[in-house]
Amino acid sequence: MNTTREAKGIEKNMSKATGKPMNGSTFLGSLYTVEAVLILNNNLGKASPEKEMGTGQQQQQQQDSGRVYVKYYTPPHTESEEAFNTLKKQIAFEKNLMSKTKKQDNEIMLLDNHLVLYKKCADVTLFLVGPISGNEILLNEAFGAFKGSLELVLNSSGIDRKNILEHYDMVLLAIDETFDNGIVLETDAAAIASRVSKPITQEPVQLDLDKGLLGAWGFAKSKLQELQQGL
Amino acid sequence: MSAQTYKKKYEISPSGDLPDKMTIYQDCMNTFNESPVNAKRCRLLISRLLRLLANGDTFPQNEATALFFSISKLFQHQSDSLRQSVYLAIKELSGISEDVLMATSSIMKDVQNGSDLIKPNALRSLTYVLDESTAFSAERLLKSAVVSKNPSISSAALCTSYNLLPISDVTIKRFANETQEAIVDLKQFVLLDEASEFYPTSTFTTQYHALGLIYQLKRNDKMALLKLVNQFSSGNALKNQFAMVQLVKIVDDLIHRDTQLISNFETLLTSWLDSKYESVQLETAKLITSFATHHSHLVGNRLFSNAVSTLQTMLSTPRVTSRFAALRVLNRISMVSPEKIVVCNPELESLINDSNRNVSTYAITTLLKTGTAKNISSLISTITKFFHEVSDDFKIIIIDAVRTLSLNFPQEWKPILDFLTDVLKNSEGGFNYKNSIVEAIIEIVSFIPQAKELAMEQLCDFIEDCEFNEILVRVLHLLGKEGPHTSTPSLYVRHIYNRVVLENSIIRSAAVVALSKFALIKNNTPLAESVVGLLKRISDDEDDEVRDRATISLKFIDSAKKNPVGEELLHSKYTYDLSSLEKKLTSYMSSNSDAFKTPFDVTSIPKYTEDEVKAMELKKKQQSFNSSTEELGTKFTDEAEETGKRLDSATYHGANLDEHSKDLQSTKYIDELLSIEQFKEFGSLINSSKTFPLTETEAEFVVNGVKHLFKEHVVLQFNITNTLTDVALDNVAVVCSSEDQESSELKELFTIPVDRLLPSEESACYVAFKKPEGVVMESFLNNLTFTTRELNPDTKLPFDDDEGFQDEYEIDPLVLNAGDYIKSSFVGDFSASFDELPNENVAVYNVQESMSLQEVIDKLIVNTSCLALENTQYAQNETNQHTLKLFGKSALNGTKIALIVKIVKSKKGIALKAQGRGEDATLSSDLVNGLM
Repeated sequence: MNTTREAKGIEKNMSKATGKPMNGSTFLGSLYTVEAVLILNNNLGKASPEKEMGTGQQQQQQQDSGRVYVKYYTPPHTESEEAFNTLKKQIAFEKNLMSKTKKQDNEIMLLDNHLVLYKKCADVTLFLVGPISGNEILLNEAFGAFKGSLELVLNSSGIDRKNILEHYDMVLLAIDETFDNGIVLETDAAAIASRVSKPITQEPVQLDLDKGLLGAWGFAKSKLQELQQGL
Repeated sequence: MSAQTYKKKYEISPSGDLPDKMTIYQDCMNTFNESPVNAKRCRLLISRLLRLLANGDTFPQNEATALFFSISKLFQHQSDSLRQSVYLAIKELSGISEDVLMATSSIMKDVQNGSDLIKPNALRSLTYVLDESTAFSAERLLKSAVVSKNPSISSAALCTSYNLLPISDVTIKRFANETQEAIVDLKQFVLLDEASEFYPTSTFTTQYHALGLIYQLKRNDKMALLKLVNQFSSGNALKNQFAMVQLVKIVDDLIHRDTQLISNFETLLTSWLDSKYESVQLETAKLITSFATHHSHLVGNRLFSNAVSTLQTMLSTPRVTSRFAALRVLNRISMVSPEKIVVCNPELESLINDSNRNVSTYAITTLLKTGTAKNISSLISTITKFFHEVSDDFKIIIIDAVRTLSLNFPQEWKPILDFLTDVLKNSEGGFNYKNSIVEAIIEIVSFIPQAKELAMEQLCDFIEDCEFNEILVRVLHLLGKEGPHTSTPSLYVRHIYNRVVLENSIIRSAAVVALSKFALIKNNTPLAESVVGLLKRISDDEDDEVRDRATISLKFIDSAKKNPVGEELLHSKYTYDLSSLEKKLTSYMSSNSDAFKTPFDVTSIPKYTEDEVKAMELKKKQQSFNSSTEELGTKFTDEAEETGKRLDSATYHGANLDEHSKDLQSTKYIDELLSIEQFKEFGSLINSSKTFPLTETEAEFVVNGVKHLFKEHVVLQFNITNTLTDVALDNVAVVCSSEDQESSELKELFTIPVDRLLPSEESACYVAFKKPEGVVMESFLNNLTFTTRELNPDTKLPFDDDEGFQDEYEIDPLVLNAGDYIKSSFVGDFSASFDELPNENVAVYNVQESMSLQEVIDKLIVNTSCLALENTQYAQNETNQHTLKLFGKSALNGTKIALIVKIVKSKKGIALKAQGRGEDATLSSDLVNGLM
């Protein structure tokens, strides 16, 4: 039993060696230096009580994954066998990440042949995953840009789960302006933040003129009430 | 809709729960198709949609296409804010939606006329909507964007071009000049919004993107790359550290293609080691040190020590990442040439207590590698001080490092053993931890004869109070194996019998087997008799297994006095090669030709004596230290964090796999060989060499050779691979002609050619010779002969009317030397064995080629097929001389042979003095005279 399994392993290795040329992400000097960017909930796997009340598949998923933001980069237009090509593998990797980083904030580590930089911020942890051969200091630079730009777009409120979810559009844009398919686009946090457009604050005011002044008053009143409740 | 319900429906985000997928889909479809577009709501919904996708959810293709279609309608709204979100959605959905091309024209319009905020987003989304057939249409847009003064626009165009390379490198190549200019051009960051609260600084990352793209475009042009390096390494052309690191990587690529180039780059590399950017320093140090592991003679000592001192400085920076990175490199060096980084020891020692556990783990494992015979005891006492404060996992890593230390410095066994016994007795810990300590001690018992008895006594003390059955059983087995050969066997008998009295049945049965081995000790009848007495008492045990084992043992002991079979069973002198035994048994079971009437033939399975097994183990361990260091590096940290049970198995396993696959491959060759009818009459195979290359690996036909020895025959096996894509080879054979035809003792019998070799196939051709009994050495000139047949590209078969034409291809010569008649073997005390052996032969060599000491040593080990003992397989780098101790056994008759080779390196070359002794006089002189 054992022998046959190992024999298969060899065949696989051999076919790998003689197989396709290296794809874009693996060779030295590729611009694709970032493999994934993740923001995970620190309480991964710990379901809050009200969630357990809920049923349905989607509830289940949110309980399990602990994902706040997740993006795995694959070089476009290549058929590659990436390490993270299925959701199952991704989730397993994230679980592993969380269990390894739960106790300590060591900033940098090697995991499953990846170089991982991470930082805990309140109730979430930011991760940047790079190839094992990556330049640690450059990745740290990129990680700094990622974290710094988030701090800037979330301004005074700081990085935590609630803020990220409230300003999810800005967070998405900031990350998109930092990495393009795993290429580091920009490393100056302020430059990144300045390219992130603010959400549209004003509801397009559409007054139905047929209703006249009274209608306008009613609209203004409801707006005011809304403001008051917000306070 | 009142404001209240609106708020409830769309702004429940604080709790963090998303509405379910269908609700989001419906909301998106409704809102995106509304007219006029409600920009605020759309942006909110898009981000909600993207969050759903980021959570791992996805949509069926038709729904995704509908979403994509609705989202592209939002292009009609002019808000940049909304537009940025739309681009995000387009990028995410393009992977799961159909008809993504329909968005192209809107995107291209934005690239041309959009605001400066939007242009980069539009450009970058082109990566997703274009394919092979449409990529060319973006040429003009990309080209004009590359030359833009705005770095964001230029970078976006460069990245998109880079992303599109696999499908349209022809298009991208058309603006290579513009790309090259973008490297030189320092583009200042443009703040788009005057009232912005941010103060960006220009990073000139565009240089990096342009350089990365140019490198891709010119990868196959060595001269162009050299020019590129020259142009951008001088002066201050590059401002961005990413770009500078990219340049280092280009140099790395260049020197790996042409190793001689390293001397041209020496000044440049030295200046990079002093770069103001740590990242550049690090990358350069990585380049130098990793290049040096493969081509040590090409890297000057100064350059290497400069690299090490750069790393050394990094060790004391406050930034964790830098310390970690520098340690990783140093750790890698420490596995190959620890003596080169001894200078870093003070820094390393101060990092032992680093608050970051990953850093301290690396520091300790590195320190243990750099330890020299002199400082081992002080190092061990340093470790002892903090050892009890760290966690179990961490302790295991340290124990593992200590155990490699014990193999590397066998003469320093005393402090190491003291340390191990101390931690074994005085610390609490789980199974994995204790097991790793016991394993380390067992290793000392097997490989360091001087330490054997003391180490075994320590183990005896340990099992008096051990709670883990598995460990107890292992120790008992060891005591049974080694105990009878010690000076005081009765001591072990007492310890073993105590277990029988006190422990559970599992341990009792293991103890019975161990005990029975003591009964056969020659010339100590009282002990043997009392063991028999003990066993008789045990045969009344309440447990079946224990009773049975005792009874069987008594029977064996009884019969051993009359016939040796019993003794052999009790005290096995050899073990079978397990993997081949398993394979043969499986095929025996499955073939079942005559209902198992013919008994299974054990003789065809290779047997190993204990010494041979030890030799193999030691070899594997030596290799595992050497093997892919990066892999090991991962394991270290991985293990540091791991709490599971993988730990002890993972340590060596990974490194061994490679070796194991080689073993398997060679058994495969042997099986193939023996299955060929013509070779059956040659009798049993005596020895097979390792596979060795006879051509460059890039050659049109790649040939590897294997030498097989039979008692009166030699078979040369040539594994031929056809790397051509459109040509098949017929009748492939190898013509071997002896270099010295006249005096050749070998008679060629026959050749088994390969009938047809299709593209990228591998097949073996055999050439058989008859040889007189005994050692015959010969060298062969080899020619590959074949008929080429062109292939029909449709059928992949040769054209019928193509006759093909004969061709020849010369491959490297092959030497049958004395080493092929030798199997490596282990002996505990080399000097004593050497002195005992008769028939001394001495030979002196001068090697003119420029080789490093290590290369000479490696070559000697391969040529002699002996095992290097006493850790002499590594040359110390600073010295110019080395003594290599080799030991082996003749494959023909099992006689021992030992070699001492003194190597001295001077300016003129390398001088070797080989001193060989062996029981077989001819073999010893043949070996000594055929070393190089």
